[in-house]
Amino acid sequence: MTLLAASEHFAGSPHWTWYILFYFFLAGLAGGAYFLATLLRYWGTPGDEPVARLGFYVPFPATIIGLLLLTLDLKQPLRFWHMLFNTTPDQFGLNFNSRTPMSVGVWALLVASIFSFVVFVDTLVRDGRIRNRPARRLAALLDGTVGLVWNVIGTILYLFIAGYTGVLIAVSNQPIWSDSWALGGLFLASGLAGSAALLLVLSHYRPGAEFSRGVLERSEHIFTALELLLVVVVVVTLIDDGAVDDAFGFPWILLWLVALVGMLPGLRGLAGDRVRVTRRGAVAAVERAPAWVVAPSLVLVGVLALRAAVIFSAQ
Amino acid sequence: MTNHWRDIKNADLIMINGGNPAEAHPVGFRWFMRAKTERGAKIIHVDPRFTRTTAVADIHLRIRTGTDAAYFGGLINYVLQNKLFHEEYVRKYTNAAFVVDKTYSFKDGMFNGFDSEKGAYDPKLWTYEKGADGFAKLDINHPRSVLSLMRKHYSRYTPEMVSRITGIPRDQFLQVAKLVGEMGRPDKVMTQVYAVGLTHHTTGSQMIRAGAVLQLLLGNIGRPGGGMNAERGHANIQGNTDNAISWEILPGYLKVPAPGQRTIADYVDESASKQAHPNALNFFGSNYGKFMVSLLKTWFGDKARKDNEFAFNHLPKPAGNSSWISIFDQALQGKMEGVMLSGMTAASIGPDANQVHKALANLKWLVVMDSFPTTSSEFWHAPGADPSQIQTEVFVLPATHWIEKDGSFTNSGRWLQWKDQVLPPEGESRHDHWMLSDLFLRVRKLYEREGGKFPDPVMDLTFDYGDPAKPTLDEIAREVNGKDLKTGKQMESFKDLRDDGSTTSGNWIYVGSYTDEGNMMKRRNGVQDPEKNDPTGMGFYPEWAFSWPANRRVLYNRASADPAGKPWDPKRAGIRWDAAQKMWVGDVPDYLPDADPADPKSPLPFIMTGEGTGRLFSNGLADGPFPEHYEPVESPIENPLHPKVSISPGTFLYDKAAGRPNRFGTVDEFPYVATSYRLTEHEHYITQHVEHLVRLQPEAFVEVPAELAREKGIETGDKVRVWSKRGKLEVKALVTKRLGALTIDGKKVFQIGIPIHWGYVGVKTGDHWLANALTPFVGDATVRTPEFKAFLVNMEKM
Amino acid sequence: MAEAKLKIDPGKSYGFFTDTSVCIGCKACEVACKEWNQLPSKPEGFLGDSLDNTGTLDGQTWRHVKFIDNVPDETLGVGDGKAFLLMSDVCKHCQHASCMDVCPTGAIVRTEFDTVFIQSSVCNGCRNCIAACPYDVIDIDPDKDVARKCTLCYDRLQGGMEPACAKACPTDSIQFGPLDELHRRADERLATLHSQGIKEANLYGRDDKVYGGLNAFFLLMDKPEAYKLPNAKNAVLPQRNNLGGYVGVLGTAVLGLLGAVIALRNRGVRPEPPEEPTVEERP
Ligand SMILES: Nc1nc2c(c(=O)[nH]1)N[C@H]1C(S)=C(S)[C@@H](COP(=O)(O)OP(=O)(O)OC[C@H]3O[C@@H](n4cnc5c(=O)[nH]c(N)nc54)[C@H](O)[C@@H]3O)O[C@H]1N2
Ligand SMILES: Nc1nc2c(c(=O)[nH]1)N[C@H]1C(S)=C(S)[C@@H](COP(=O)(O)OP(=O)(O)OC[C@H]3O[C@@H](n4cnc5c(=O)[nH]c(N)nc54)[C@H](O)[C@@H]3O)O[C@H]1N2
Ligand code: SF4
Ligand code: SF4
Ligand code: SF4
Ligand code: SF4
Ligand code: SF4
Ligand SMILES: [Mo]
Repeated sequence: MTLLAASEHFAGSPHWTWYILFYFFLAGLAGGAYFLATLLRYWGTPGDEPVARLGFYVPFPATIIGLLLLTLDLKQPLRFWHMLFNTTPDQFGLNFNSRTPMSVGVWALLVASIFSFVVFVDTLVRDGRIRNRPARRLAALLDGTVGLVWNVIGTILYLFIAGYTGVLIAVSNQPIWSDSWALGGLFLASGLAGSAALLLVLSHYRPGAEFSRGVLERSEHIFTALELLLVVVVVVTLIDDGAVDDAFGFPWILLWLVALVGMLPGLRGLAGDRVRVTRRGAVAAVERAPAWVVAPSLVLVGVLALRAAVIFSAQ
Repeated sequence: MTNHWRDIKNADLIMINGGNPAEAHPVGFRWFMRAKTERGAKIIHVDPRFTRTTAVADIHLRIRTGTDAAYFGGLINYVLQNKLFHEEYVRKYTNAAFVVDKTYSFKDGMFNGFDSEKGAYDPKLWTYEKGADGFAKLDINHPRSVLSLMRKHYSRYTPEMVSRITGIPRDQFLQVAKLVGEMGRPDKVMTQVYAVGLTHHTTGSQMIRAGAVLQLLLGNIGRPGGGMNAERGHANIQGNTDNAISWEILPGYLKVPAPGQRTIADYVDESASKQAHPNALNFFGSNYGKFMVSLLKTWFGDKARKDNEFAFNHLPKPAGNSSWISIFDQALQGKMEGVMLSGMTAASIGPDANQVHKALANLKWLVVMDSFPTTSSEFWHAPGADPSQIQTEVFVLPATHWIEKDGSFTNSGRWLQWKDQVLPPEGESRHDHWMLSDLFLRVRKLYEREGGKFPDPVMDLTFDYGDPAKPTLDEIAREVNGKDLKTGKQMESFKDLRDDGSTTSGNWIYVGSYTDEGNMMKRRNGVQDPEKNDPTGMGFYPEWAFSWPANRRVLYNRASADPAGKPWDPKRAGIRWDAAQKMWVGDVPDYLPDADPADPKSPLPFIMTGEGTGRLFSNGLADGPFPEHYEPVESPIENPLHPKVSISPGTFLYDKAAGRPNRFGTVDEFPYVATSYRLTEHEHYITQHVEHLVRLQPEAFVEVPAELAREKGIETGDKVRVWSKRGKLEVKALVTKRLGALTIDGKKVFQIGIPIHWGYVGVKTGDHWLANALTPFVGDATVRTPEFKAFLVNMEKM
Repeated sequence: MAEAKLKIDPGKSYGFFTDTSVCIGCKACEVACKEWNQLPSKPEGFLGDSLDNTGTLDGQTWRHVKFIDNVPDETLGVGDGKAFLLMSDVCKHCQHASCMDVCPTGAIVRTEFDTVFIQSSVCNGCRNCIAACPYDVIDIDPDKDVARKCTLCYDRLQGGMEPACAKACPTDSIQFGPLDELHRRADERLATLHSQGIKEANLYGRDDKVYGGLNAFFLLMDKPEAYKLPNAKNAVLPQRNNLGGYVGVLGTAVLGLLGAVIALRNRGVRPEPPEEPTVEERP
């Protein structure tokens, strides 16, 4: 079932810890948020626009903070640009190495940040928070098809960013990480679920946003199911490589439990959805308002815990 | 070494007893590996521990420490019983056929000639029956021939007895014996390698002799790939011994004069070996006087004249023993005012370190000449010491390190290799020889001004250097080589030394090292052109440095060829008789270079001995003419061979003699056998100053057998307390299966390993422990080397 | 053998043949490497992993002698390096170098001697190579804050000198030379050992079964796993997960899209959409 043979690894640990954990977290949320925002704006109803805007606000700051975290994680932060430009004497030029997701990812981030920056500004303009001419020109440009194309490309880039983080660690010889090809998918799925949860929380603070909560909740539930599916795939691939013990041994099992607890609201919701859809629909969700903060927060913590479990257990 | 490092590659079988060359002589070990990779030689490592040497050996015999004489005795017995010895060699090249005097006896562990009052034997009584010609009587079939006596003596060393004493299982012993037995064939050769695993015992000298006896029986002495090879200690320890660092010898292994000797003739008569066979050249014995006179001429120059016995009486004639332990015994008794230490740290190295610390504190002054602070220069404020109670005044004279001076190193293979100064001296440090010269000149000035009881030796000493306060090592090296006073030329060969006062030589065995052609020790014609520089292909490299004596690479090499002068193994020739040239060719012959073997008068092969042969029976050691197994002073069992005479009767018990309380433990209180040793990563104590090495072995530990550790619930890294009757260590444990249990005389015995390298000076400070806190204050009967390698301890988890 | 005079030509492949059957664990190589490369030895405690207190290769330890203590209770015929495995470990200078594959800055290059070299001035300390190297070779040098490892004495080779560790090795366990010559010697040595009945002996990295061949290859006295080396089956490149990983992401994205579409379709009861504020209307 897997693409790999069982492996025994003796590689050393890169000591990627907190910076990387939060970067992965942010990358996942950014990806999911861009995705949901685009969907809601272009394929949702006009009532979804407030949440779409919320969603468009997320990727840019997440990207900037993420880049900052990435840079700080380097032992030589001032040499971040070496990722982009080769400084080998006699070999000056741009650096791109398709074999390493780190190189692909950095370029993706760079390009994606342009997209998220533009929609960020665009959203500010739409929200009337900036009014200067160039900004408004830009926003106007993004009306209609151009905006659609722009955001579809942005979405693809951001989905890539959410997912490549898992590929990045898989393209190594670390136990667990490299024993499964499904981590990229898992990170993306959990990013999707997490971003739905994030938007749910944020919807609390924006008037009119409550309109989309039903969709968000349902997305969250479905994405959580997807996430669970990928967890299963990961486990199966790890079993195949004999790395399950390492990945789920103490204390990592605790992180996995947190991650699982994070999936619970989603899964329970998924079970409840059927009832709700046939009976009272999304209104029911509105009535359970206080849970809106608790449950999505739980989901977000789960997203973090999942990444922590993967990142730390291998090292 | 009778042979040399490179020669080990010529061996078929390498027997390592009491040495751990991969760890203590890693560079020399290269040749062991060459023997293995290039000729498939087998390596047998006989050691209480499985070490890094054992890792690449073929066979490991786990032996109880202190029992090698029994092991060798068993091999001797096996070889004799099964007629595996090299028959012709034994008959013609050893004293097997010599008839021993009828006074000889051996009963219940005692040889004849023991003076129970002195607690010592008189070795002069171990001699041959004389024939009518005044020479020893020869008859190999005589019941008192050396061979007959040996058969009888060693018949007790059955495989069962060997196993009972050593703990080596009988079948393993027999397998090894079979391999060893094959080495008696002329086309096979075994090298026997040892180091301080044999010397650090009260029976050390006899263990080594036992190995040599075995090698003689197998016909392996004098042959390339064979020999009895001592791997020496510090880079120049061989040079030290050659030049009389030991208390009982003068340079070139001439004996220290004894009380009562008034003339050179007296001295030679009592010191030199006597011709015991008509064809024996007895080269050493018959030239003893020449070597001594030349030495006295070197020291006292014009003041050494025929009419004053060449100033022979300037030399002290000590009655007492001045070995290392004796010095500190004297200090303990308050009979020592001061001590000068140079390049050695008494506080760490001596047995029963706690007692040695007391001895140091009993001195008025202590001078430490060293390049670094040592445990001796700092003993007065060691952890646990109370400086206010120690009145010893300590002077530190910063000395240049050997790397900061030129001069020669003599290696284990007897090569004198000149080296350059590598680094400039640091700080205010001075060369040792400059400090000593300065000191001497000042003392001489005091004598000049104030006179004294016996100023002559000081006033008459030659001090013929360009700058007497700063002699160069080049000047000293020329002086040691010596010169012909008639021609003014440097001596070329010791056979030209004379006893009429017309030659000088500071060390007869070093003659030829610095001739008018130049400093031979600087020669470096080596592997850059093997064809030219190693014409025989045997690895002699005659123009590499200088090998004492006479640039000879393998000692006793006449014995590498049969009586007719044909090499026993033509593929591994030492020397051969070239009938056309009427010359011996190959290595520098240890023989008269033109003595035709066809001539019935040609000398016997071992030209240095009075017998003209190798000695299976000898009066050279203080504790017996044949090696016999005695137990270590602290032993887990009574000697199974003769329980009433368990330890060697010649052992001198210092504490008892001085009336100090007993410091030996017994097995009921101290159930484990311990041995102390080195690790590759450190050079004794001094490398505690070297960060790279401290990192590799950062702290004191003991090695604990896995089985015992299980019993006691000890795991690697746990702290344990190990203590003997004399002191304790509280250090970490390294649990290993490399140390295993032994069955000794029916009892299960564990051995504990104690690496020696830690003290309280160096990169790391804090708790430090001296291995020698545990070791007993007792030494070998002949040379008094301390019993560092076998003692009893107890151990517990802390 | 090692006594023959050495000529080192750029353009040829160089490496090490490490014959563990004659390694005596003296650590001269470890110290020689530290000395030549001026790497510090920071004080560490007692590790007691047999006679090893170094633990692993790292940014300041580019040679490390492993001690694998398998000493059995019986004492006969245990030698030949089979019972107490001693092995001087080092960067393998892989033909397919995982570290080089994943380095995003191009800091890791193949030199004119066909060795794998990290340019300290280019490395930014991302540590991707550490995660990738299957042999736990690379680590960050805490004093320089860049990834460092054995350079195969690049500076010495340029100066026509053999690497410091090989030079110091007393038993020729580490042999340096042109790869073809080393292959020849290794094959000979293996044949000798096999003819002596030492069947366990095997060459590791001599052929292309692991990482396309290792320029620093070994004669081992036990299975590679016993030395903590990936066997041919486990010697896999990080790259193997690129395709699967990206496909996994794509698949998930497609499923996610599907999920989102479902979520959007079945919205159930919808409250009235609020008035959409336009850009112009905002204060
Ligand atoms: N790395 C390093 N090398 C050194 C030195 C050093 O300090 N460090 N010191 C140098 C000096 S001064 C010397 S003298 C030499 C000493 O060289 P070695 O004699 O080789 O050194 P040791 O480790 O003292 O002892 C050798 C072995 O003897 C074993 N042994 C103990 N008792 C017995 C016994 O009764 N019978 C047998 N068969 N074996 C026994 C020990 O287990 C040990 O493995 O090393 C020199 N080389
Ligand atoms: N228990 C136990 N005790 C032992 C042993 C054992 O096996 N077990 N082994 C014993 C043996 S064989 C030996 S040799 C001793 C070793 O004991 P030591 O010889 O005391 O040990 P090292 O640490 O080698 O000391 C050598 C000293 O010489 C200094 N030095 C170096 N070059 C020069 C120079 O040119 N001039 C001067 N003045 N100083 C210089 C160094 O700085 C260093 O302090 O230990 C003995 N003690
Ligand atoms: S320390 Fe020096 S003398 Fe001792 S083995 Fe090494 S090179 Fe030889
Ligand atoms: S061993 Fe590791 S560091 Fe060395 S070349 Fe191979 S992958 Fe790179
Ligand atoms: S740490 Fe340096 S050498 Fe390693 S992958 Fe990153 S940039 Fe390349
Ligand atoms: S080749 Fe040079 S850098 Fe590499 S381990 Fe050997 S000495 Fe160190
Ligand atoms: S220097 Fe040679 S023998 Fe010593 S540990 Fe290193 S590889 Fe082994
Ligand atoms: Mo020594």
